[in-house]
Amino acid sequence: MTALPLHFELPEHMAAEKFLSKLGKKIDFQIASEQYATKTFYDSFDWRLYSAGILCELNQSKSASHISLIDRNTGKCLALENQQEVPSFSNQFQDGRLKTQLDPILEMRALLPLCQLPYQIFHINVLNKDQKTTVRIKLEAYENLGSRISLQPLKGYEKAVARVSQLLEKSLALVPTQSSILNSALKLQGRKAQDYSSKLVIKLDPELRADRASKVIYRALLKSIKINEAGTIADIDTEFLHDYRVAIRRTRAGLSQIKNVFPDSIVTQYASFFAWLGQITSATRDLDVYLLNYQQYKAALPKSLQEDITPLYTFLKQKQKQAQTELATHLKNPNYIKQLLAWEQFLKEPLPEKGCSNAANLTIKELADQRIWKVYKRLIKEANEITEDSPAESLHDLRKTCKKLRYLMEFFQSLYPADEIKALIKALKGFQSVLGDFQDYEVQENSLKKFSAEMMANKVESNTFLAMGVLVQYLDSMRNAARHDFAKQYKLFKQEENRIVFKSLFAPQIEVKKS
Amino acid sequence: MKVIAAYSIKGGVGKTSTAVNLAYLAAQSGYRTLVWDLDPQGASSYYFRVKPKIKGGSKELIAGERELDGLIKATDFENLDLLPADFSFRNLDLVLDTRKKPTQRLKKLLQPLSDSYDFIFLDCPPNISLLSEAIFETSDILLSPIIPTTLSLRTLEQLKTFIKENKLKDLKLIPFFSMADRRKKMHREIMETLSEKHPDILQTAIPYASDIERMGLERMPLGGYTNKSRSTEAYQALWQEILATIN
Ligand SMILES: Nc1ncnc2c1ncn2[C@@H]1O[C@H](COP(=O)(O)OP(=O)(O)OP(=O)(O)O)[C@@H](O)[C@H]1O
Ligand SMILES: [Mg+2]
Repeated sequence: MTALPLHFELPEHMAAEKFLSKLGKKIDFQIASEQYATKTFYDSFDWRLYSAGILCELNQSKSASHISLIDRNTGKCLALENQQEVPSFSNQFQDGRLKTQLDPILEMRALLPLCQLPYQIFHINVLNKDQKTTVRIKLEAYENLGSRISLQPLKGYEKAVARVSQLLEKSLALVPTQSSILNSALKLQGRKAQDYSSKLVIKLDPELRADRASKVIYRALLKSIKINEAGTIADIDTEFLHDYRVAIRRTRAGLSQIKNVFPDSIVTQYASFFAWLGQITSATRDLDVYLLNYQQYKAALPKSLQEDITPLYTFLKQKQKQAQTELATHLKNPNYIKQLLAWEQFLKEPLPEKGCSNAANLTIKELADQRIWKVYKRLIKEANEITEDSPAESLHDLRKTCKKLRYLMEFFQSLYPADEIKALIKALKGFQSVLGDFQDYEVQENSLKKFSAEMMANKVESNTFLAMGVLVQYLDSMRNAARHDFAKQYKLFKQEENRIVFKSLFAPQIEVKKS
Repeated sequence: MKVIAAYSIKGGVGKTSTAVNLAYLAAQSGYRTLVWDLDPQGASSYYFRVKPKIKGGSKELIAGERELDGLIKATDFENLDLLPADFSFRNLDLVLDTRKKPTQRLKKLLQPLSDSYDFIFLDCPPNISLLSEAIFETSDILLSPIIPTTLSLRTLEQLKTFIKENKLKDLKLIPFFSMADRRKKMHREIMETLSEKHPDILQTAIPYASDIERMGLERMPLGGYTNKSRSTEAYQALWQEILATIN
């Protein structure tokens, strides 16, 4: 049995009144209320709610205003709260169902309005002969987007809702619909749901000439840079800058790792431009990370010191604000804009009939195989040389190599069987994260020491420094744990199974002799 | 989940009005609420415009052959559901008597609903019987309306003795005055002496009022057709007092 349709669209030119008069000929009902209202949909920039199958709406009328979370597939209301406006972050909601549902999905991402729809809403009660409500009907008439009917079943009156659903579909010839009014509204704006994701998706034709394919990759990265720029400048949430920086870093990795496909002069010019971008954005990102970690820092302290760390938060917040202002100034500078435009122009230009080098004339698949295999071998060599006593630097260098390999594999993902390359990227990610932790904890430790020196000037209580001392110790123990974990994680990464797949995907083909 | 029984040995004292109106208030403030109409006369089912009929009647219900959840009906009010009465409930005593532990039966039947509701109001038939004993075992609170008359003192004391003799430690008896008419000298005097003797009687008294009487015509809880009156305020105060004794 298929599920009973509960949501319907009215034919384009059927006004709400006409529908009601038609309905009145078939069943007894009462209009409980009739109101003008506004519906605003919210989601994070990267569509986290939509991807989780949830819609967040703010419905405002003269008499009421509430936020509700709706199951995108069934139309069921998952949580509802009376509120005048939607807070930016989930942790700014008051405690309750809304917050507990939003928090794990949104994390640090801000809620942004997607579109605002004025509409007229009728609440209709279908009555039986005792004038008891057996089904509730919601009729929403939108401007320019038609009207929608939703049936709300009532417990114990399953037959009644089935009857009304039948009636709407068969006698009134309404069309059942699964897609939300949000999808129609986005379409009207020329948009689509999930039109941004922080994941890199590049589809490449393996036969494409390497220099042309490289441009495809850089264009995808440039798109990500540009789309995150405004949110970075406005500091809407930390992830705009994060995604912006990831795109910059990937571009830099491309310029250094997809070797020799463009003339040296071009590569040098833009390598230094993107290096500069990486550098002017790094202070803000570092401070963002400390602020994002703040709750974890606090939780790592003994209860008696947890409140004493608050001045660190204030200090970080203030510093972040300064760094952010500087960063915004840089990104509004005409020189930056000019260089980025020039890069865009270069990526748009057609390439000469013949590539500038041997590498440029390879197919992208050939080049990808070569590069990934080479960097993979380097990674194994570097990792094999690491012992219990190796200095931190060798682990840091290894981390860099890991990153290069990771970016190459991500750029060229579409050239390889999806399951296999995904599994390898996942394995690499796991290994990389232990190296990342090792380095990050060290950086955080050193920064904390630097901050405490700066905070000395602010007349901060001695207990705050005590708490920061405990924190440094905590970070140090975490760093040691990561160092100890290295051998185990590396063993996992280089296990036979992974090695075989690396070899089969990327190593030069050797003729297999037939016996 | 808290189970509140509107109970009295006597008939016509306001049990049904209490169960229906307090359940309405609980639901209005967001508590998931159920009214179980245990009276074969089906007065609370009538107030919610629900047919006093359940599939299988009292036999299948008490035998546990039907899950309570499948018999529940949504009322016209948010958060408020009803488990309707059935005419066969007039035999509930006999049906219960065929079971091994008859007084534990209702408790067992309600168990699966404990995650779905914050409050369950039992609208009980008058009388003291096997069913009442089962109600006492199930309920957290026995909410007992008292009309201020000379006989009511005796009724209250009978009930207290019964609870004591049957060692119902987990049951909290909450008596309150119902249909009180302050214009009547007798009512005022009885309320005074009774409150002195039994300080556990709640402060709030539900007045004798024509808008409460009208429930039978309107077929809905008082709050469904009256916005604000002395009666709605009395029920509100009563509910707040009960909530305070629970917490
Ligand atoms: N406060 C009140 N003021 C006026 N009339 C009332 C009041 N409370 C109840 N009534 C009326 O008194 C009658 C009996 O009330 P109700 O049905 O609530 O009592 P009950 O104890 O449930 O009765 P029964 O024992 O028959 O189940 C009803 O007609 C009701 O409308
Ligand atoms: Mg009654």
